[in-house]
Amino acid sequence: MRCANGIEARQVDELAINIDPIQVGGRLTGDAMKAVIAYGDGYSVCDNCRKPNRLDYISKPPIAEFHKDVAAWLNMDAVRTVPGARRGFQAVAHTYVQKGDPVLLTSLSHYTEFLAVEGSGGIGCEIPANDQHMITPDATATKIEEVRKQYGRVPVLAFIDHVDYQFGNMHDVQAIAKVCHQYDIPVLYNGAYTVGILPVNGKDLGVDFVVGSGHKSMAAPAPSGILATTAERASEVFRTTAIIGDVTQRKFGIKEPEMMGCTLMGVTLIGMIASFPHVKERVKHFDRELENNRIVVDGLLAVEGTKILSEMPRKHTLTRADTIGSFDKVAGSHKKRGFYFSSALEEKGVTGVIPGATKVWKFNTYSMTRKQAEYLAETFGDIARENGLAVSG
Amino acid sequence: MTFQALYTLTDLRVILRETAPQHDLDEKQRAQVQRLLENLERQIGSLKQEMLK
Repeated sequence: MRCANGIEARQVDELAINIDPIQVGGRLTGDAMKAVIAYGDGYSVCDNCRKPNRLDYISKPPIAEFHKDVAAWLNMDAVRTVPGARRGFQAVAHTYVQKGDPVLLTSLSHYTEFLAVEGSGGIGCEIPANDQHMITPDATATKIEEVRKQYGRVPVLAFIDHVDYQFGNMHDVQAIAKVCHQYDIPVLYNGAYTVGILPVNGKDLGVDFVVGSGHKSMAAPAPSGILATTAERASEVFRTTAIIGDVTQRKFGIKEPEMMGCTLMGVTLIGMIASFPHVKERVKHFDRELENNRIVVDGLLAVEGTKILSEMPRKHTLTRADTIGSFDKVAGSHKKRGFYFSSALEEKGVTGVIPGATKVWKFNTYSMTRKQAEYLAETFGDIARENGLAVSG
Repeated sequence: MTFQALYTLTDLRVILRETAPQHDLDEKQRAQVQRLLENLERQIGSLKQEMLK
């Protein structure tokens, strides 16, 4: 079925259990789907925009209230919506990083954090992960000292991912931020995999900025996200325009240069707002998500030769599996080669594993039901047995 | 009424997602689907009356 010329109706999640590592937390709630239907037109949230003419002041629909609610929910002082977490990284980097400035990243940082640093002319300095793929406070202190030795000054900013995209490991941001602050380095908390998934408290973590992704973790359309700051940092990142046109003498009110004025003016923002009550509720039940993840991980580990490369026990639903010793053994002799695995999963109604991947791959069990988790665990076992692999239990 | 019908269909879509891939509905879900389909029929009836009068 097509929804328009050349565009197939997408019904991936209606037909299958989706375990795509980046998609599951961004799937819309029913309320967001409904809001999207009504607010699909371009500047749809701007019907009641009045002076001072800025998105976060609009009260109908309740955009102003949403901004306040998100700030309170994250225990931060100010919030803006941004077109994706990456634009939050960019706004902060553009405010604090000058050409040649060293900036702290990690060996597990997302590429968009690097690009944000590069865009401002900064130099990326990675805190190395240890053998367990964890970023530690000690490694942070060591790296800062190395940077100081090499550049004659400490980094001007630190980007720390609470849960990294490679292993889904949870890093001790609170302790890392403490180390950074001992050197007066502001800390950006990358919550792309946490804000909207599990409880996040910015002040408790002791960070200066919290960045979240709407389309990755807040059940919102892409591109959407949030940038939250402390009051101290808000006046810097969210400073207002001062430019004046030399011919027209025009000024631009309280628009914010780092936000390029208004940010999400339609369907993205309305989707995020519509999902927000559900998102606030679902983070309280992350323990259920971990239980479903455990069921699936146990099902995978029952297939002889399978390893989980992420930290165990799991603290997040994004998980990296190593099936070189199991499913990959079949790939060499199977007529579909490595594609047999994703193909078998698709046939059984499971999608989201990269076609052809049988060695190391990632999956995310977030927001599936228990019944779906049990089905998925059984499915891994069934595919293994059908291909002559040993399955325990 | 157009929106109401679309929203009813959206509620059905959510159930499809929650029950994929087998769509084996439990008793509660079956009752919910039954109610939604009845609402949808009523809503479509109203649309016919309003738009084709």
